Order: sequence, then C-alpha cells, then structure tokens
Amino acid sequence: MGRIRNPVEPGEFEDPLHNYDPPTHSDELERVLCDSQVSQMPITPLAYIEKDATVQDALDVMAKYECSCVVVQDAGRAAGIFSARDVLNKIAHDPATRAKPITEFMTHGPRTVYVTDCPAKALNLMAVGGFRHIPVLDVDDKVVGILGPRRTTEFLQEHLI
Amino acid sequence: MGLREDIMNETVAQLPLRKAVTVTADLSAKEAIRLMRDSKLGCVFVIDDQGRPMGKFTERQVLKLVCGCVPLDQQVGKHMVKIPECGCVRLTDPVVKVLEGMKQTRLRFLCVVDDAGKVVSLTGQKGLMEYVADHFPRQIKVQVMTSKLHMNTREGA
Repeated sequence: MGRIRNPVEPGEFEDPLHNYDPPTHSDELERVLCDSQVSQMPITPLAYIEKDATVQDALDVMAKYECSCVVVQDAGRAAGIFSARDVLNKIAHDPATRAKPITEFMTHGPRTVYVTDCPAKALNLMAVGGFRHIPVLDVDDKVVGILGPRRTTEFLQEHLI
Repeated sequence: MGLREDIMNETVAQLPLRKAVTVTADLSAKEAIRLMRDSKLGCVFVIDDQGRPMGKFTERQVLKLVCGCVPLDQQVGKHMVKIPECGCVRLTDPVVKVLEGMKQTRLRFLCVVDDAGKVVSLTGQKGLMEYVADHFPRQIKVQVMTSKLHMNTREGA
C-alpha cells in the first residue's frame, strides 16, 4: 500500500532557499575561477609510462613528445609524476641513473584535480602548493591530461588582457 | 580596485620576484646545472661583460642535453636560448607588460632588469599565479583539498 501524503496547505511550506542570493563576482576572472570547470581549461594531452619503466624510458617519451612531464601509471591510475625538474635535480649529474626504475626518482602520489573541479582549485595547487604539473582525473579516477604552468598562464591571460 | 586595473597600474616590483642566478657564457653546463639545483630555480641567465642578459639556460635545455646524451662539460653559451627584447622587463614597468611578454615569447621566465639593463631578478609564470592568488585569497587560497570526488559506497550502506 502506498504512502498517502497530505496536501501541503498554502503557507505551510517554506522554501529553505527563498532568501538565498547566488554569489556575485566583481571580476570576470573571479567568475571564471569559481564558476567554470577544469575541463574548460586548456589541458595538455597525457604522456605516460608504466610503473615498471626505467628512467631512460621516461626520457625517451619526454624527447619524443617534447614534453617536460610524464605521468607514471599503475593500472590506469596516476602512481607518480616525473618532470624536467626531477631530471635537473636527480638525473643530470649521474648518467648511471638512466637504467634505474622510474619509481626511485618520480614524485609519488601526485596531487590531482578532477575535470569537474573549479579552476581556482588548480590554481591553489600551483600558486600555494607549488606544484607545477597536475594530473587531471575524470570521474572514474582515470588520468585524462595534465594541467601545466604554460597553459594555465594562457588561461589567465585570456581572461586578463 | 579589480585585478584588471591593478595589472595596468601596479609595477613589476610588486610582483613576487625571485633572485636571478647569472652565469657567463664560458661556464660549463654541468656547473650551471649545479647552480640551478642549489638555488632551486629552473633557469639561469647568461650575461655579457656589462651584466646585460644575452640568453637563458633552463631546465628544458637541460632535458634536451640529457635526452640527447650531450656531454655536460660543454659551454653553457653553446646551448643557451637568446632572450628577445620583450623577454626583459624593468622594475618600473606595469605588470601587464609581463603578461604580454610571456604571451609574445611563450617564455616561462622573464628577466627583470634595472635602468642600466643589468639583471636584477626574475619573474614568470609562478610569480604571476601567486599575484593572481593574492588578489583572490578567498577563492584560491582557501580550498577543500579532499582527494576523492565521491564516496565509494552509499552513505549509510
């Protein structure tokens, strides 16, 4: 037997959002930062290697695609990230590191953003957290691209100038 | 005042600037890399006898050298990238000039010079992002940094 609902008397129901004012933004950039999504930012296509690869494999991929960052994947998930800064700090001075596993030199457990996050969150990771390359995930936690400093700057420039 | 007005009126001196590392063209790439690592920078500027910038040597050049197995005892001047005129800004220039310089040159780092044209510091994409974050502290600096977008199971399940 279905539940019988009593009809709502006029004036009995009060809309909890009746006095809600949607946020207003003083600036076009502020609106874009808060109201748009990471998916609307220019995301760099993904360059990746598998977790069992070597440093040389990562260098080969970076040279082939002329990118400064590769995502190290483990079953489709971002296990780590390896960038030109890692090459500068850990690889350049010691050629013997090329044959070693990438897992020894990558940054483990990189901070990520979802395609549905607002651009302000990505900018928080970059400006406050100091991360230069941020993997972008879809709703199934699969990496769909990289948000890098160059394209983020282009995104800001587009709305500033 | 909005950010758009600020970037027109405020000067480069008000941007978050970093101390620039300068080298001469005859220094080895290996030594330049050590300087970059020690100063935690991704770029060194190559200067002439008068201290004016001739070029830059960045981590992208380091990556190319390492990927190409090029010996690192070669002179940094051989592998530097020349800085175009719009790749330098003065401390008294408006912030918008940094934006335009980065847009035209597609450079990550810009060289900040004094009135005599000598290198005084560097700015770039990170400085610009910090500048924007400072203008929108409520929107950018305060974020809920949860790693998961949604729960794995239903609430109460």
